[in-house]
Amino acid sequence: MAEQPAGKSDGVGAAAPSRRQVFRWLGGIAATVATEAVPRVNSAASRSGGNPNRRWGMVIDLRRCVACKSCTIACKNENKTPPGVAYGVFIEEEHGEYPHVYRTAFFRPCMQCGNSPCTKVCPTGATYKRADGIVAVDYERCIGCRYCIASCPYGARSFDYGHEYIERPDNPYNQIPSSEYGARYGLRKKGKSPVGNVRKCTFCLHLQDEHGEYREPPACARTCMGRAIHFGDLKDPEAVCLVHGEQMRELLARRGHYRLKEELGNEPAVYYLPA
Amino acid sequence: MASQSLVARMDWWLRALGSCILLAVSAVGIWAIAARFREGLILTHMTQNVPWGLWISLYIYFIGLSAGSFLLSTLIYVFGVRRFEPAGALALLQALGCLALGMVLIWIDLGHPERFLNVFVHFNATSVLAWEALLYVAYSAIVLAELYLVLRPALAQRAASGGVSATWYRVFEFGDSSLKERWQQRAAGWLRMLGIVGIPVAIGVHGGTGAIFAVVKSRPTWYSGLFPIVFLVSALASGGGLLTFLAAAALRIRERQKLDLVGGLARLTVGIVAFDLLLLTSEILVVFYGGIPHHQAGWREILFGPFWWVFWFVQLGLGALVPIAIVSGRRTRDSLPWLAVAGLAVAVGIIGVRLNIVIPAQIEPQFPTLPDAYHHVRFSYGYFPSSNEWLVGLGVIALGIWAFLLARSVLPLEPVEEGVHGRGER
Repeated sequence: MAEQPAGKSDGVGAAAPSRRQVFRWLGGIAATVATEAVPRVNSAASRSGGNPNRRWGMVIDLRRCVACKSCTIACKNENKTPPGVAYGVFIEEEHGEYPHVYRTAFFRPCMQCGNSPCTKVCPTGATYKRADGIVAVDYERCIGCRYCIASCPYGARSFDYGHEYIERPDNPYNQIPSSEYGARYGLRKKGKSPVGNVRKCTFCLHLQDEHGEYREPPACARTCMGRAIHFGDLKDPEAVCLVHGEQMRELLARRGHYRLKEELGNEPAVYYLPA
Repeated sequence: MASQSLVARMDWWLRALGSCILLAVSAVGIWAIAARFREGLILTHMTQNVPWGLWISLYIYFIGLSAGSFLLSTLIYVFGVRRFEPAGALALLQALGCLALGMVLIWIDLGHPERFLNVFVHFNATSVLAWEALLYVAYSAIVLAELYLVLRPALAQRAASGGVSATWYRVFEFGDSSLKERWQQRAAGWLRMLGIVGIPVAIGVHGGTGAIFAVVKSRPTWYSGLFPIVFLVSALASGGGLLTFLAAAALRIRERQKLDLVGGLARLTVGIVAFDLLLLTSEILVVFYGGIPHHQAGWREILFGPFWWVFWFVQLGLGALVPIAIVSGRRTRDSLPWLAVAGLAVAVGIIGVRLNIVIPAQIEPQFPTLPDAYHHVRFSYGYFPSSNEWLVGLGVIALGIWAFLLARSVLPLEPVEEGVHGRGER
């Protein structure tokens, strides 16, 4: 107040704040916000967990796939996903014109992208990348804005709209909690997480032990009768598939391989061996 | 005399009818909003392929109306275009009200609305949406402060006038009634300052809202550098359109002054609409010449999809051609009612723009047959809003209209006579 230019204050200046004063207040607010927010931004990045010496990934050999789709059933079973929510799906495509048609098909889990657009756009950092490359969702933090679904080029995310297989609340499907995230979220109930959240494939990370190693491989890989889905560490050059024991690098090197929508630069951790 | 009373009676009946309709829509809307909070998003028709629907379209529509009218208000308070001054308070009120409606809509759209504060508590610095949330707060503070500054002289006048309502207006003085002279000296400077700060913030608010979509490389129709700019330009158009309409319909100022104001606003709006068309043409030509299938898919959906008429009739016809025709027509360009219609046409037409921005880009699945991979309604092709979505949308709009009517009756939106800021302008 004292710094007010004398000519302008015309003797009444007690109540009206000067411009400089207001700027000082705003500066104070900005500083508070900065000191409060910046550590939180960092904590969101370091919250990851997971074994930093691993980069879990899949090699899906489409020549071995017989399109039985049991991978999707195993996924449903393991994660107890409700109707309208799918983690791993089996996509079939028809090409050509009748009668000269042929079909191709592939299993699409979450790609656990190295450069994942979903974790980038999430306003709360509820979806985050772990040190072992797996993209997980903190259901308690997720506000359900669905920006991550819009940003995922693989359609690998589902919003839990709250559908039930059987309407009755005490139906047997509702009496077993989903084992995902170590069954941390308990029984699925209306209005309670994960209803109203975005959900996704986590490579069954609840099957990891306390060191971040898999006690058993993800359900889809484990169940595949054609041994088409290989699962293992992509970081260690010597690492073998946890299901069938082949060397991951050798699988990739022996034949050509590709990743879905490689051109977007998302660095998926799921490789396909052509049919 | 007789005819005059007839007009008055007609007027009364129309008003009563309008109020009844508005009342009914808001009642149904409130019921729909309650249902949405009771049952959750299961009441919507959004899918895993189209996670953003009608509510998000309306949300960006209202953010656009807000940012557009705020930027127009800076013409007055920063760039000194005194001709628009009578609409200054109205523009700021529109900016504030439309921002609030946009916020309500995106809040209703959240899967867990009770956790919205997480955006601030767990701020993720790489998310455009998180930055937008911050900008909305800063922006609303600026608009609120400006609105107060603009209204203060008139509020003071009413506070000093005595009577029952004066008590209410005295609240806004915050215990300081000596403001009149002092305030007038400072207010103009403050308004200018806030406006200058507000311009980049408002551009951030709506250009940034465009960037929410533009940064999504997985939806090629959104993924364009032109996109945030198109957002801004159409925001200016819609803001100008609604302001034109509201100024013509709601301001109580002299007829000549009003025609001058409304005519100016309408011409400005139509100019912006024309520029918007230029950007649209450029985008469409490039997309179709390039011929990348994924890039084209969204635009095909817009131009020739099942809702082709939204583009051709609402967006192009109502939103662009009708107002251009009215403002350039010799008979219509100096007629207040026609200019009001032109403004409203732009404001309504831009709803089509917003729908076409949000929805068609998502229609093409990430893999062509992804919806067939899982047999459930949430994995189906296409999207059309559910009845709950429509009713919630209409209800929020109706509540917004009530809020505006209330604000108009308690706030002195018309400037105090002989110049607000004590300068001898014009």
